[in-house]
Amino acid sequence: MGSIFSRIVAYWGDKEVRILILGLDGAGKTTILYRLQVGEVVTTIPTIGFNVETVQYNKIKFQVWDLGGQTSIRPYWRCYYANTDAVIYVVDSVDRDRVSTAKEELMAMLDEEELKDAALLVFANKQDMAGAMTAAEVSDALGLSTLMNRQWSIHKTSAVKGEGLTEGLDWLINIMQK
Amino acid sequence: MNIDAFKPKFFATSTKGENAELLVDLNSEYRDRRKDAVKRVIANMTVGKDVSSLFPQVVKNMQTEDLEMKKLVYLYLMNYAKSNPDLVILAVNTFVKDTDHVNPLIRALAIRTMGCIRVDKILDHLCEPLRKCLQDDNPYVRKTAALCVAKLWDLDQERALENGFVTILQDLISDSTPMVVANAVTALAEMQESSANKDVFVVNVAIMNKMLAALNECTEWGQIAILTSLADYKPLDSKEAENICERVIPRLQHANGSVVLSAIRILMIFLRYIKSEEFTKSLIKKMSPPLVSLLASAPEVQYVSLRNINLILQKRPDILQNDVRVFFCKYNDPPYVKREKLEIMIKLCNDKNIDQILSELKEYASEVDVDFVRKSVRAIGRCAIIIDEASERCVNVLLDLINTKVNYVVQEAIIVIKDIFRKYPKRYEAIIPTLCQNLDSLDEPEARGSLIWIIGEYAERIENADELIENFLETFLEENSQVQLQLLTATVKLFLKKPSQSQEIVHRVLQTATQEIDNPDTRDRAYVYWRLLSTDPQAAKAVVLSEKPPISVESSSNKISPALMDELITNISTLASVYHKPPTAFMGNRAYGADAVRKAAVADARDEEQIMGEDSPVAPGGAGVSVEAPKSSMTDLLDLDFGSSEPAYSSPPMSGGGQMSSNGAPNYNADLFDMSSDMSSSGGVFGGMAGMNGMGFTQSQPQQGVMSPTNNQFGDLGGLGGMNFGQSAGGQQQQQQTQAPKQQSAAVNDLLDLF
Repeated sequence: MGSIFSRIVAYWGDKEVRILILGLDGAGKTTILYRLQVGEVVTTIPTIGFNVETVQYNKIKFQVWDLGGQTSIRPYWRCYYANTDAVIYVVDSVDRDRVSTAKEELMAMLDEEELKDAALLVFANKQDMAGAMTAAEVSDALGLSTLMNRQWSIHKTSAVKGEGLTEGLDWLINIMQK
Repeated sequence: MNIDAFKPKFFATSTKGENAELLVDLNSEYRDRRKDAVKRVIANMTVGKDVSSLFPQVVKNMQTEDLEMKKLVYLYLMNYAKSNPDLVILAVNTFVKDTDHVNPLIRALAIRTMGCIRVDKILDHLCEPLRKCLQDDNPYVRKTAALCVAKLWDLDQERALENGFVTILQDLISDSTPMVVANAVTALAEMQESSANKDVFVVNVAIMNKMLAALNECTEWGQIAILTSLADYKPLDSKEAENICERVIPRLQHANGSVVLSAIRILMIFLRYIKSEEFTKSLIKKMSPPLVSLLASAPEVQYVSLRNINLILQKRPDILQNDVRVFFCKYNDPPYVKREKLEIMIKLCNDKNIDQILSELKEYASEVDVDFVRKSVRAIGRCAIIIDEASERCVNVLLDLINTKVNYVVQEAIIVIKDIFRKYPKRYEAIIPTLCQNLDSLDEPEARGSLIWIIGEYAERIENADELIENFLETFLEENSQVQLQLLTATVKLFLKKPSQSQEIVHRVLQTATQEIDNPDTRDRAYVYWRLLSTDPQAAKAVVLSEKPPISVESSSNKISPALMDELITNISTLASVYHKPPTAFMGNRAYGADAVRKAAVADARDEEQIMGEDSPVAPGGAGVSVEAPKSSMTDLLDLDFGSSEPAYSSPPMSGGGQMSSNGAPNYNADLFDMSSDMSSSGGVFGGMAGMNGMGFTQSQPQQGVMSPTNNQFGDLGGLGGMNFGQSAGGQQQQQQTQAPKQQSAAVNDLLDLF
């Protein structure tokens, strides 16, 4: 009796909340992932492929996927959309030149059928650097206000300093528990 | 309505295959479900179902702490990376992370798998992890990485050089762990084979010493690799060669047959450099016991060992001298092992052990396996030919066997006795009556031919030779062509030895052979005899009854030339030493796949044809007899014919004296009239044709004068029209020359008509 009960618990307990971290190359996705997981800044190399880690936050287990942002890998993002609960889209706030590319990729991604129920959390990253765009500027550049039928939020973050990340996650948890 | 309601359901189930279900499961939020799905994917993969479409989903499960799962995904990757070269990039990051893993097993697993993924696109990403692994603290990782360099080299030599991997690998030979050394040697040896400059792996003194130091500590694979590479080393002097041998000798004790054979190979190679007789002797002595103990292994290993021992014995006949008993066949040996053992018994026989061997062979001759019995009987014959003193004992054993009256034993014994007669002419005539008693039981062409040859050869000693021949002649037309040829020759011999008794017989035989037999071989030989007899009986005697050179043991077919021998010794313990063929004969140019080998074989066959084509015009010109018969058919013969016409009509003026000027001629005579050891002679077709052209013209020229009398003597020479006797008889020297082409073309036409 007890074993059956524990197995049921284990079954439900093992269900993972799946989160994708996407964004152009060099936006800081891998740094954010490991900041969330181990709470430290690790040195990273460009991700050719993906990283996946389990992140425990407020007693919730997230399975966080960090996909490489290089042009050659972006077409394969779609392979990871299935069963995704939320997307964290990371933007390099200093890189004004490529913010339009970031917008295109974002819009193309949100058009995907598999992601129509996923929440969108945008991180305007690298706020510690001089000349960074504000959250509102990034939001405008990405055209977030035009989004329909989508729960979204934007936060200014600095992965290096660890600022803004928890606020974003709190929002996510809040959304998902509703 | 009902049907409509069912339809969509029906289609829905048919579109949803197993792969679709797997796809869902692979993306599941539950870990154990995903693992289950991966297991099912691998199961499907191993039974040959195509699951390559699941590639991205499977790769997603690669990054996990679950070792079992990781191994399964790696397995999948190795198999399907080639069919999804673009998607492999998704796995790179995980590979890179895994080569940094704390667990050395995972580091090695990752680098090994990366090496196995032969996709150009990931080579870029392979180099850094590979460099890391080559310098890993853990020897297991280093040895795995060493092999990975060879894999990279195979795909992109320049990249391997640019990244300095070759140098790192060369340094690994000095590694402190023997298994790393062994793998570095393996990798370098393989790279050396495909390198353009052959400078990747040159075994020098330093490397040689390091390899020897690692040798004793390696796994058996490592030992084989090191021994194989050691063979490339050229010792500076005899002393150094001795030293190397000393250090390799302990390997002879190894339990693995391949290690033992590899060690033997090294010893055999380095024996070439050793000058000290004493050392050579002791070395050969030490090689015997391990070879003997190889014969205690499984039959397949025994076979390989026996083939190698066969070679070693030919090179060093003094080895294994006292061990002949080991090569006695056991009743339950498989046939292929028995056959090789017989070969080796014959090689080992000497006047001391011949009695032992003979009684053993006699025993074999009463076994049930017909093929083996025949081989045993043949072996007795070969012993007789090798050992002069024992020939009498051998003959006695053969006579015993003949008295058993077992049909195939008798036949085989007679064939063998024929060879003994050829080796020791006139020594064992006393047994001829016994042989003749068995005349009726002979039904195989070779045995019949043998007995007929004996009768012909000893016609003057056999009182009723003419009756015996007559007896055979009753079925002349039904006989196998080989027997026909023998009968023809024997009859002519009989006639030359006892002209009074057999004039009628020989006339009849020649007539039958020339008029009723379509086989050009037989027919042409009859023409030649007829002509010889009719022109100059003395010459006929000189040719037909000429002294034949005694046969030797290893008649041409079995003998391995010294150059080939050296090459085969160098390749002991490889396939070459089992086939007894140089590696180039069965390996494509660096071809490892079955396809490549097949292609190479086709190319070889084409080359051979070309060579045959080049040879054939030369052959009929004179020295042609030694040329082997082309195995293939009509087209070759026709080619040959056209080719032959050229040299043939230019040759008569040159060979004016009526003797063939070329060296090949005497040989030729001996061969045509003698009983060549391969009586089955498809070669005869070739030789015979060549002979027609050559003989016909050389003879006709000088003996024009004799021609007309013969014409009178035999009224029925019309059958020889193809040879143009009439024309040449009346011809002058000049005329002869102008007519030659005509004659030739007539002859050629005549021959062509036969096909």
